[in-house]
Amino acid sequence: MNDDKPTIPGDLDKREPGLTPDLAPTYREGDLIHTAPEFAIADADVLASERGDVIPGTSLWRDAWRRLLKNKLAVFGMIVVSIVAIASIFGPMIIKKTTGFAPDSIPSDAKLIKSYPPFKTPDGSFSWLHPMGTDNQGRDMLARVLQGGQISLMVGIIATLVSLLIGVTYGAVAGYLGGRIDNLMMRVVDILYSLPYIILVIVLLAMFRRNTPMGQLLLLFVALGSVSWLTMARIVRGQVLSLKNQEFVLAARATGVSTPRIIFRHIVPNTLGPVIVYATLTIPTVMLTEAFLSFLGFGVQAPLASWGTLATNGIQNIGIFPWQMVFPGVTMALTLFSLNFLGDGLRDALDPQMRKL
Amino acid sequence: MISFIIRRLLITIPTILVVITLTWGLIRLAPGNFYTGEKQIPKAIENNIREKYGLNKPWYVQYGKMMGQVVRLDFGNSLKYEGQSVNQIIGRSLPVSAAIGLSAYGLALIVGIFLGSVAALKQNSKGDYASMALAMLGISIPNFVLGPILVLVFSLSLYWFPPARWYGFPSRGAVLPILTLSALYMAYIARLTRAGMLEVLRSDYIRTARAKGLSERQVVIRHALRGGLLPVVSFTGPALAFLLTGTVVVERIFALPGLGNYFIQASLNRDEPLIIGIVAFIAITLLLMNLLVDIAYGYMDPRIRY
Repeated sequence: MNDDKPTIPGDLDKREPGLTPDLAPTYREGDLIHTAPEFAIADADVLASERGDVIPGTSLWRDAWRRLLKNKLAVFGMIVVSIVAIASIFGPMIIKKTTGFAPDSIPSDAKLIKSYPPFKTPDGSFSWLHPMGTDNQGRDMLARVLQGGQISLMVGIIATLVSLLIGVTYGAVAGYLGGRIDNLMMRVVDILYSLPYIILVIVLLAMFRRNTPMGQLLLLFVALGSVSWLTMARIVRGQVLSLKNQEFVLAARATGVSTPRIIFRHIVPNTLGPVIVYATLTIPTVMLTEAFLSFLGFGVQAPLASWGTLATNGIQNIGIFPWQMVFPGVTMALTLFSLNFLGDGLRDALDPQMRKL
Repeated sequence: MISFIIRRLLITIPTILVVITLTWGLIRLAPGNFYTGEKQIPKAIENNIREKYGLNKPWYVQYGKMMGQVVRLDFGNSLKYEGQSVNQIIGRSLPVSAAIGLSAYGLALIVGIFLGSVAALKQNSKGDYASMALAMLGISIPNFVLGPILVLVFSLSLYWFPPARWYGFPSRGAVLPILTLSALYMAYIARLTRAGMLEVLRSDYIRTARAKGLSERQVVIRHALRGGLLPVVSFTGPALAFLLTGTVVVERIFALPGLGNYFIQASLNRDEPLIIGIVAFIAITLLLMNLLVDIAYGYMDPRIRY
């Protein structure tokens, strides 16, 4: 120990509460520390940089990522969602290549057109050919569930993007313009909030039913997206209100940047954190609503099939062929479960103040 | 207080009118109508029908007539169920939906508040994680998947409850629908209670209550729950909306003659008076319930004064 310099008060092993264990070792015995212990880390960093040590900078995103990785449930969610997404995208292709079953290929042999259980052949012996069994037309359930995943995830993501587009624009404009316009725009949101929107969506889908699967899908995107933007608008507005009086906005205004450009290039990128969190939580909600609509017969149309439609078709045969409902239903529940955990984890990671709640 | 209620009603009434107008507009803007079916009807008959129901009048006359009916709460006769008025159909099917929905919500309140408070009082314990994982599961399983699974286990394997039939209320036939419907709220209420309780348990007034020597039991039940349950109270409004969509599903799975089932049928049949009637009924109930919730909130939270 160097005796002619003041040293860190106290023993390193008895650290002050409030110093996180992984940061504390950045100051060592012998460092010059004069300030109160709670400022010790910052001072140690400054001193270390004066000494020429390289301190890796931590951005907000890197911090959030580190916190996210510490959350076991969120990591679990991330892994499951990635597996399901990758399997849904590439699975049907791989199954087609290896076994020749397409999601909608009905076997030409009439004896095979029946529903048989997982890991079984029609004569009852064990086989790896259909790990999830087949449906009434003898179609491979695994291929159908994976393809259903494509549709369900697509509806979830695209409808969420639609709601993002509307919600962020609306909220940012209301928040930035402020005053009477803000008041009016938010009153409209309040009124829309109290509408029984699902009832309106059912009426909309029942009345404007499309005959083409693609048309119906587009209608679903619009219907689901246009009812789920309200919370997003409120969140973004709140963020914008707290951002718009900061110096960087003033600077942009002083240099003559136009209002739309200030809103969308300067302010909106700074609201990204909460927006990402809420978007992650919107995806499972939208997927659930889509499944609900598919259950009622207003959702995705044949030959396209989402998890919701597959599970609905399975319900009719629940007593005899339970696997027809259980596999799509459980896959869907697992995915939503994981997405919810991921969203919760993201919220905790990006908003540390909420963490302990 | 009175002025608050009046102000709220001033927003509520236009909102109801907006809902009904939107519904009517959607029905009218969509191509086709109740009479366009598989079979083409002769032009003369179609004209007679249009004459009888006033469909040949300009749209604002029809809109005015419809609104007049709504204001008088008399929605006329159903097109599909001939000779039955919309009010009769609602009067017959509402008790079924209300019985299932309210018992499900009651069950969810009891179980959800219990699980949520236990989780909050023992934060980060095994029990906390277990009940929160259970709650997340409840949010993630679609109720039309949960319902058939319950039927598969309790009706088709164990033969405890009938799978799908309405025997009146209360009866064994109502058990599975109530369980299916309550799972989602149970989960939401447990999560809300936990978050609310965690926040309240750290507040100063709880420390004061403890400091003056109240037993833990009294602190939790008399002091913490009152503040910690505020999020649950404000959830009741949206919950009623959920309840509505939930009953639609549950009524279809268990073949119950409730309001939701009629609403879906009416939408598919384009039975305009019935759709308008049910939508109006739902909107009025929902918004009035929201108003009641806001008033209740004011009583529970002493910081709020109108």
